[in-house]
Amino acid sequence: MIRINRRKLITTSAVLAIAALTVATVPAQALNPQMADPGITASTIKLGVTSPLTGIASPGYNKIPGAMKAYFDYVNTNGGVNGRKITLVSKDDQYIPTTAVAKANELILRDKVFALVGTLGTASTKALTASTQLSKRGIPSLFVNTGWSGFADKKAYPTTFSILPSYQMEAKIMAKYVKETYAGKKIAIIYQDDDFGRDALAGFKTAGLTFDTYIPYASGSQALPATGAGWISKLKTAGAEVTVLFGVTSASTAALANAYGAGFKTQWVLGSVGGDATTIAATNKAYVPLLFGAKGFSFAPAPTDTTDEYIKLFQSIYATAQPTQTFDNNVVAGMSNAFLAVQALKAAGANLTRAGLIKAIETKGSTFASPFLTPLGYSSTSHVGATGYWVGTYGPTGALTPDGGKYTVYTTDSGTGPVVLSTYTRPAMPAKGL
Amino acid sequence: MNQFLDMVLIGISAASIYSLMAISMVLVWRSTRVVNFAQAGMALLSAYIGYELVARVGNFWIALPLAMILGAAFSAFIEFVLMRTLQKHSSQGAIAAIAPIIATLGLLGLIRATIGFIWGHADVQIEPPLSKVGFTFGDTTIVMSPMGLFVVLFVIALMIIVSIVFQKTNIGLALRASAHAPEIAQLAGIRVSGIRTLGWAIAGAAGAAAGILQTVNGTGALSPESLEFSLLLVFGFIAAVIGGLESLPGAVLGALILGLVLAAVQIYISGALVFIVAFLLLLLVLILRPQGFLGSKAGRRA
Amino acid sequence: MLKKHPIITFIFFGFILFLISNRLDELRVYQGATVAVYAIGIASLILLIGYSGQVSLGHGAFLAIGGFAAALARIHFDAPIWLTFVVAVLAAAIGGALLGLAAARLSGPYLAGTTLALAIGLPSIANQFSIFGGEQGISFDIGLPPASLGEDFTQYKWFFWISWTVALITLYWLRNILNSRYGRGWRAVRSNDVAAELAGIHVGRNKVLAFTISAGLAGLAGALLAMTISLASPGVFPLALSFSLATGAVLSGVTTLGGIMIGSVTLVAIPEIALAIANRYGSETITTNLPGLLVSALLILTVLFVPNGPVEQMHAKRAKRGHSSHSPVEISVRVGSKTWSTKK
Repeated sequence: MIRINRRKLITTSAVLAIAALTVATVPAQALNPQMADPGITASTIKLGVTSPLTGIASPGYNKIPGAMKAYFDYVNTNGGVNGRKITLVSKDDQYIPTTAVAKANELILRDKVFALVGTLGTASTKALTASTQLSKRGIPSLFVNTGWSGFADKKAYPTTFSILPSYQMEAKIMAKYVKETYAGKKIAIIYQDDDFGRDALAGFKTAGLTFDTYIPYASGSQALPATGAGWISKLKTAGAEVTVLFGVTSASTAALANAYGAGFKTQWVLGSVGGDATTIAATNKAYVPLLFGAKGFSFAPAPTDTTDEYIKLFQSIYATAQPTQTFDNNVVAGMSNAFLAVQALKAAGANLTRAGLIKAIETKGSTFASPFLTPLGYSSTSHVGATGYWVGTYGPTGALTPDGGKYTVYTTDSGTGPVVLSTYTRPAMPAKGL
Repeated sequence: MNQFLDMVLIGISAASIYSLMAISMVLVWRSTRVVNFAQAGMALLSAYIGYELVARVGNFWIALPLAMILGAAFSAFIEFVLMRTLQKHSSQGAIAAIAPIIATLGLLGLIRATIGFIWGHADVQIEPPLSKVGFTFGDTTIVMSPMGLFVVLFVIALMIIVSIVFQKTNIGLALRASAHAPEIAQLAGIRVSGIRTLGWAIAGAAGAAAGILQTVNGTGALSPESLEFSLLLVFGFIAAVIGGLESLPGAVLGALILGLVLAAVQIYISGALVFIVAFLLLLLVLILRPQGFLGSKAGRRA
Repeated sequence: MLKKHPIITFIFFGFILFLISNRLDELRVYQGATVAVYAIGIASLILLIGYSGQVSLGHGAFLAIGGFAAALARIHFDAPIWLTFVVAVLAAAIGGALLGLAAARLSGPYLAGTTLALAIGLPSIANQFSIFGGEQGISFDIGLPPASLGEDFTQYKWFFWISWTVALITLYWLRNILNSRYGRGWRAVRSNDVAAELAGIHVGRNKVLAFTISAGLAGLAGALLAMTISLASPGVFPLALSFSLATGAVLSGVTTLGGIMIGSVTLVAIPEIALAIANRYGSETITTNLPGLLVSALLILTVLFVPNGPVEQMHAKRAKRGHSSHSPVEISVRVGSKTWSTKK
């Protein structure tokens, strides 16, 4: 017994010692100060994106990286940015924060990207920004795909730039519209009972809109059989003539389908997150016509608006790059994101550095060409992107077209500022959209 | 009054789906004393098979029984391959209690991954064969559609058939005996292992029906990550426990109680509390009446 | 060596880890910290399932409690790091005690199903109170490594050091507990609770104690996990985490701590291996589905053929050959003509 133990002891120690020595002879990987930022060579720029390509949040959103790549490829065939071609490394985080952090680590440490662009989801972006210490490493995180107003705070997120208007902005603009258009009617709201929905409630409150009926739902419960039916029953009893829906798309689908099944009619007003027709169509094409007549909000030109020069360009680029996919607002979102990224990279000049890129957006960002119909709010004190919305109505195919035939855009802030009619006219698109 | 009627109808609709899952779990429990946590996965797979069948055969009414048969076959196969090997190797030691549970969990992951491989992750749809618009009486539409009514009637019919089989036939007697006293049953000449496979097969058929009907009664969409199925599993389990894992009518009663309570909470209190209430209901029943409403005290042994 | 000089073994292992951390690239260092987190989580399940014979399919809920408690302590009371971990352990332990009390009369599938329901219901409970930050969660920032460690000391190395120090101390402590009369008591109850009761062990208290300690350990793992992500949110503790830990416990072998590294490393290594395979074939479908497939297949194979874990299997083989150093716990009680025994 003792002999065995001693032999084991010697063997184990020897093995461990050899292993330690072997490992110790591998040269140390200290963080040497970089002469140039990683991800750039004389002829290439490497960008990274992590988003839900699969999983519960993926329908619709999983088209965004492909759309971004389509635009980047178009720019590459036209000479690139200051002589450099852009490569996009895309990873799947399934909308789970721990996975997003792991993927971001891979992008930064293994793929050594120059900057992150278009990361999606508030929790995922929050997690990866903090955990990978983007600000300490000075890595730009461009145009994150989330409406959480916190990312616009430069002090907390010095290298992050948002692009979407915040949920509070959206709620305030919705409130103004509802108050003016449906004065005197019975108004109800269905909202997701967490920070996302309560952010919106705060915005509604700031804008002075109170509802006759509040219907919160626990995130996830919209998938249960009885939930949607329960909402409709409550709405029927309350006699709601206008119903605001500030939830995710699966909630909108549940509400619309059950209303149809119960023969209940109301004027639906959908928030931008839950109003994505493509996601609804991915669930069940039969539900898309239920959107007909509902009101929706957007800040980019409508994907079906072929009179818009940006839409025309994006459509032609996408048709060649991804001929089997439909062109919708997710594609517009991705390509607009990529477009802005290219404008930023151009503005940073041929001597491209991470710090230079951030400065370029802060100093010149508000004058960048952009497909959006609202001004961009980038400045040395603010990292806010789009700041407003226009109202439209859904057609029978789920396409959103502006009321009154033209885009009437309202802008506001995430605080207590008023909602005002925007006087912004979008500057002409640069030649060939580059 | 109107709201109350709504609540009752909504509760019954939901209950009918939960009860299919609960019946499936009770069947597996009664024949092999295992709680099959892969039930959701098997229901999911059956639903995909149902989708393929509807797409190829074009007729839902043929596809449904076919899918149930295939579901039964798959379930029997799992019992034969997985559970028997499990019994041989892990009936001793600490792992004995949880080995079946862990194995069924592994099975769930395996099924999900396989579905992802074969069908991809995008949603697929099964078209409902009946209208989902509620019945209209005069100018009021109630919250029960032909599709919903079919599901309720289907569940009642299934329960009656299975109960008759269990209580009145020799096979049913063999099933019950093999579960409660396998050694004695073997002495009486019953091929216990074969009977157990049969139990799983029946459960598989019920699970397949649950998966397909749940899909068709809901949004009609299927994906490997369908949240509905995990929720269905938990709610089916809760329903089975409320009614008593030993009792088939109990499974339906438990589902009814669960469905009505949740519908009431949703309509009269707040939809945000659904999961909490379900969990509390489960705890309450386990603490106050652990054998369930229709279970007998001697029956519950875990 | 472990049996004769446990402290030295642990310190030696710690030294090896210290050497390794200086030589690996950052990504590996980060993954190494995750391995430590899993090790503690798996250990908590080994205690609960392997020693106490109770099953929990929702242990992620206790990790969540620990993670959120630590984050809140940091944000609202500016607590130093070690204190946040203590708070995490206490909060989760209280939760474990409560659940243990409620579930003391449950076993097998009833307990499994209840813990599963808890894991699914907990995020919704959290969403009711805005202090938990809803879907976005609350940040958990343990601050930068101390300046005395040098400019080049990265944040990830700091995570690695903290999580491994905590893990080694915890595993050492747990090992002692499991080899003490408490551990023997749990194993006795697991084998035959009637015999154990007759031998004077208070079964109810015994079970609740196991649950409490197990939950406390899980809470510690949760706090460490939140530290590496710098965030505590429902998405950090999904249902999949509970299943992963159960898988890791089975892979390691639930009856002993000896194989714990096998499970923890496997959990972190599988996605890497899957990625390597997927890159070779370049298919999107493979990348997404392969990790899940590998883990599930591994789990089923382990449960079927190596159910008590590789370490126990080795011991059993050696016992057959007559070199048994592993004495099973045995209690026999005879009352009149009836005998209850834990011997199997």
